[in-house]
Amino acid sequence: MNPVLSVKNLSKTYKVDSVETPALRGVNLEVRRGEFTALAGPSGSGKSTLLHLMGGLDQPSSGEVWLEGSRIDRLSKAQLADLRLWNIGFVFQAYNLIPVLSALENAAFVLELRGETPSERESKASKALETLGMLEYARRRPNQLSGGQQQRVAVARALAAEPKIILADEPTANLDSKTGLALIEHMRRLNREQGVTFLFSTHDPRLLERVDRIVRLEDGQIVA
Amino acid sequence: MFNLFSLSWRNIWRHRGRSLLSAGAVGFAVFFTLVYLSFLGSMENGMYNNLTESVGHLQVRVAGYREKREFRDLLISHAEEVEAQLARAQTGAEIVVALEVPALIAGENRSRGVLLIGDRRPADLRQKFAQQYLAEGQLPAAGDPLGIALGTSLAKALRVKLGEAVYVYAPGTEGRGAAAYRLVGLLKFPDSGLEARSAFVSLAAAQELAAPGSATRIELHFPFTRYSQDAQLTALQPRLAASLGQNLALETWRQANPAIAQILQLLTPLVLIFAGIFFGLAGLLVVNTIYLSLLERTREFGVIVALGAGPAKVTRMVLLESLLLCGAGAIIGGALGLLLVTSLSGGFSLGALYGQTSLSVFGLPETIYLSLRPADILITLAFALATGLLAAWWPARVAARLEPVEAMRFAA
Repeated sequence: MNPVLSVKNLSKTYKVDSVETPALRGVNLEVRRGEFTALAGPSGSGKSTLLHLMGGLDQPSSGEVWLEGSRIDRLSKAQLADLRLWNIGFVFQAYNLIPVLSALENAAFVLELRGETPSERESKASKALETLGMLEYARRRPNQLSGGQQQRVAVARALAAEPKIILADEPTANLDSKTGLALIEHMRRLNREQGVTFLFSTHDPRLLERVDRIVRLEDGQIVA
Repeated sequence: MFNLFSLSWRNIWRHRGRSLLSAGAVGFAVFFTLVYLSFLGSMENGMYNNLTESVGHLQVRVAGYREKREFRDLLISHAEEVEAQLARAQTGAEIVVALEVPALIAGENRSRGVLLIGDRRPADLRQKFAQQYLAEGQLPAAGDPLGIALGTSLAKALRVKLGEAVYVYAPGTEGRGAAAYRLVGLLKFPDSGLEARSAFVSLAAAQELAAPGSATRIELHFPFTRYSQDAQLTALQPRLAASLGQNLALETWRQANPAIAQILQLLTPLVLIFAGIFFGLAGLLVVNTIYLSLLERTREFGVIVALGAGPAKVTRMVLLESLLLCGAGAIIGGALGLLLVTSLSGGFSLGALYGQTSLSVFGLPETIYLSLRPADILITLAFALATGLLAAWWPARVAARLEPVEAMRFAA
């Protein structure tokens, strides 16, 4: 089976005041459809950088990024935005919901950007919220929800758009351990029941017990 | 379910005070522009009507009359013939024939140099003249050989009262050169100079005194009430002028009163400059609001970009917020402006202004009737729209260039 997302010899070096700091060094990775993969490693190991590059949020210094057989690392800003809109779901560490929108509207946000009709948006977003047990909070604004609930809405936002892959950058980092585990359970269930492909970063060892595959990063390189 | 429109609307009210201030500034600019355009439009029409009522829309004079110093050189000797010719042209205008005679006027023991004006005007124009300027008594009747009306201050200077005799001398002319009249009316003009040196008799009386069968001015009065109708004269003037021959000149009221015509022409550009300044200032507040809002929401914009909003969409979102902010202000300012204009459409007096300044010399109407033309509303809305677009241009450019990863790291 062809990988959904893959990187070949990927490197990223940040340059601040003529000081070069390598974040990724020649990373090769393939993520296949239906996988539930964790990127593990200590802080500063390059997990977030790798997720950003794989999601088309940043440009690599060298190497290649492929999405279902198409190379995406050389696309323009507008093309990358379009690619993310239609193919990739994101869940961020700090939830990053839009404060003036309700949970339902947040879940429907990507669908609005795609230009789907209000009824389509409402139906898909409601379904995603229901899947994550958040439908009863659909009318609440983010500031009326707990951190765990907000992160479930963020997952629902990614899920509602039915992307090819959901990239989650430390999705449990701001949650207590119980809520974090519950969120991972939700994601795991989505993966098993609906075949949603997840690639997420974490440095929480308890979460790693629940994944199919662990990719370990250290100093910008895959070590296992 | 929300859309980008309602999202933008909610976003602009996240900082209620700041947005209200910006919308208020746009609202004030819209209110000011609407009321000012209405006021100046009404003043334009008022000035135009005042001026054309007193000198006509078109005027026939002897060619080169401004350079001529002798009374006889200013005479249109075949006045009736010219009048008949103008009548045959069927322009739809009413014709006033006037003879202005420099003369010496005397009461029992005082005298003054005056311009004796004898005119023959249609009944409706005569009635308007009387309504505007007659303070006491009546105007000399058409063809009346004896009646005379004087400016109130002139009568005071001559120490004559209604019913008393007044003597006029116009030596060296082709008429009788001297005549006695009876004071039948007192006139009050906004221009005190005119009031102190004008005397009015019938055309027949003036012709008998100074120039039988002649006139110095033949006016054409068109039934125009709006300044914008004046453009019709442009086509008419050359045609009529050609039919009059080379010895006579046909001038528009603009040519006859270049200073006032220039003031009238300046009114609209002036209000547009003021409006531009007000909208410019309001625009700076809008830029401030939109840019601060963008700065505070950099992280949020980063997320929106990360989720798949391209530069064009982000630009549209920022523009929409600015346009909604300006639109909200424009609706409130526009409604208040229309309310004020409507409430003053019955007219309000500029009397206080008349008393304190010499603006009346420029033919300002005493009563202003506010009204708005569709063009005034369109111009104002165009200003508001331009403010919204220009104010958002720079913040929109900044937002469209945001890099999602950097923007999401941003802490406001």
